[in-house]
Amino acid sequence: MPPLDEHAMSWQERIRYWTVTLGVLAVSLLALTGIPLIHERWLPDLLGIVLLAIAAELLLIRYPLRPEYTDRGIWLSISTPIVIAVVLVYGWQFGVWLDALTSFVAGVVTAYVRNVRLQWVAVNTAHSVLSASAVGLVAAPFDVSQVGVLSAATLSALVLGLLTYMLVNTALVSATVALAEGVRLRWVLAQTTLSLPRDILLMTPISFLAMAALNAYGAVGLLGILAPYLALRQAFVLALRQQELYHQTIRSLGFLVQRAHPYTGGHLQRVALWARRVAERLGLPPDRCELVYEAALLHDLGKTVLDERVLNKPARLTAEEWEEIKKHPQLGAEILRDTPFLAPIIPWIVMHHERPDGAGYPFGLKGEQIPLEARVIAVVDAFDAMIGGEAPNQRRPHRRPLSLDEALSELERGAGTQFDAQVVRVFVEVVQQWREQREAKAGA
Amino acid sequence: MQGAWWAIGITVASLAALAYYAFVVLPARIHRWRCEGLRAFARLIELRTQGRYGKAEPMAELADAVAQRLGIPLHERRRMELAIYLRDIGMVAIPYHILNKPTPLTPAEHDLMGRHAEIGASITEQIPGLWHVAPIVRLHHVVYSERPDAPLTTHILSALDDWLRIAECADADTASSVLKQGAGARYHPLATQAILSEVHQRALNSVKMLTRSAALWL
Repeated sequence: MPPLDEHAMSWQERIRYWTVTLGVLAVSLLALTGIPLIHERWLPDLLGIVLLAIAAELLLIRYPLRPEYTDRGIWLSISTPIVIAVVLVYGWQFGVWLDALTSFVAGVVTAYVRNVRLQWVAVNTAHSVLSASAVGLVAAPFDVSQVGVLSAATLSALVLGLLTYMLVNTALVSATVALAEGVRLRWVLAQTTLSLPRDILLMTPISFLAMAALNAYGAVGLLGILAPYLALRQAFVLALRQQELYHQTIRSLGFLVQRAHPYTGGHLQRVALWARRVAERLGLPPDRCELVYEAALLHDLGKTVLDERVLNKPARLTAEEWEEIKKHPQLGAEILRDTPFLAPIIPWIVMHHERPDGAGYPFGLKGEQIPLEARVIAVVDAFDAMIGGEAPNQRRPHRRPLSLDEALSELERGAGTQFDAQVVRVFVEVVQQWREQREAKAGA
Repeated sequence: MQGAWWAIGITVASLAALAYYAFVVLPARIHRWRCEGLRAFARLIELRTQGRYGKAEPMAELADAVAQRLGIPLHERRRMELAIYLRDIGMVAIPYHILNKPTPLTPAEHDLMGRHAEIGASITEQIPGLWHVAPIVRLHHVVYSERPDAPLTTHILSALDDWLRIAECADADTASSVLKQGAGARYHPLATQAILSEVHQRALNSVKMLTRSAALWL
């Protein structure tokens, strides 16, 4: 079975229109803002602030969109507290320009170092300009130099400004991700807004300190908040690391299966990619699709516990050996039993050999009793087993691999009895679509 | 002016909370998560060897107590705990029929079994973010007389692994006397001393608890 082309969808086209729209908006806003009037005695301070903000922007934290992507993801920076403080102390015009400049310069450096497309730098800069302008709108009525740093008005402006910045920025980033990934905005927002209260809570004291330091000592004052700033960054890095650990565990277990049993390894990768595509087509939310991908990657984990001589036997299995093989879904679940954060995928791993007619194993469940995700894995697993991989060692030892059409007909023949009819229908559509895209590519 | 002091107080408290969250709470939580993830690896080996290898929980708890006795710092103890979950992972590459052979192993099979630490270390090196645990996995059966310079955590694991296995097959006293005999040759004397003290302390504690519950019951 050929690997699924993950980047087949034209996310580039969608994002191009979005980039142009954001770019026009941002440039118009910058033109409207005009070059901020800078007091001469502020100049060394402002230059220092720009340099420090760029340095802060460069201390990026990678937030992966999908664990297997190496070239795509969001790079979070935490220069926001400095921008908010600058808006309140030096005025919103300078805040907008500062954010634009830092995002652009740091973005270009990052693009060069990490091989990121320059298009993303433009998108990110536009996000910054729009977010900082929104802060300007809400914070403009407050004049810190008049009311003082420790007044209730300034503190309200600070909290309001930070809230506005984070909300606008999250909305814009979510829209960009939704367009680039081709998923619903609602789903992306559900994920990105989850950490928003924590982020705002963490950034508020740093923003206040930055504002007080800027007000009292200018750029030099910012150096004084270096330690809490690094603590804030550490908090973000570790919070994201927690999420990454989850994916690392799954990938590591997948790697272990592949090492223990090379056939299973290639098979798991292919099943995982196709299962996620089917789940997406079925309309499951992205986080659910990701879980389907991960469950599919580990669905044969239990086979690592079995005797390889039975698994690799070229001849027909005896009834006793077959009984052993049939234990693998439950063994897979047993392996993951003590890992609470993998609990959602355990039922799907246990039930990926159940059949709608009740003739499956281990429980003999019927129809809707089997979770949809397990039914998806069952269809894709069977399809891949029929077709086999492209390399000879990825094919089953005692079966002739079927052609794509033969395998699809086989699935359709079993729809409603061996396989879930709805899943088979959607899977056939996904395969047909993939075929058309492949042919169109070959034609081009 | 009172408002100013309030604002300063809240900021200082928030920053202290932030530092505590960033440098204490989150690292501990991440370590817990990591251990929970690695439990699956230990469980896999436990199932593959029908419960004879891979058991991690009792060892992790005892090893930490022993390491604390020896004054090993927290980050080293955490690294050791991760290694405990992964120490037998190399057994995934040892054929099933050798792992579960009911009769004694031949010398060739024994040699193959002995390679599990090296294989485990090479697997661990390829697990993202866990390369630093690989040296402990590689040396978790280290012999003191051969590698006295090996990290103390590896000597703890080596001695403790044997102690637990013998205690399970025979009893705790036999296991302790084997360790005593091997101290300075097969086992690190400091690690041996700490293990024996910890085990003795636990035995005393359980006797005290038994006496207390008996007194309450009577």
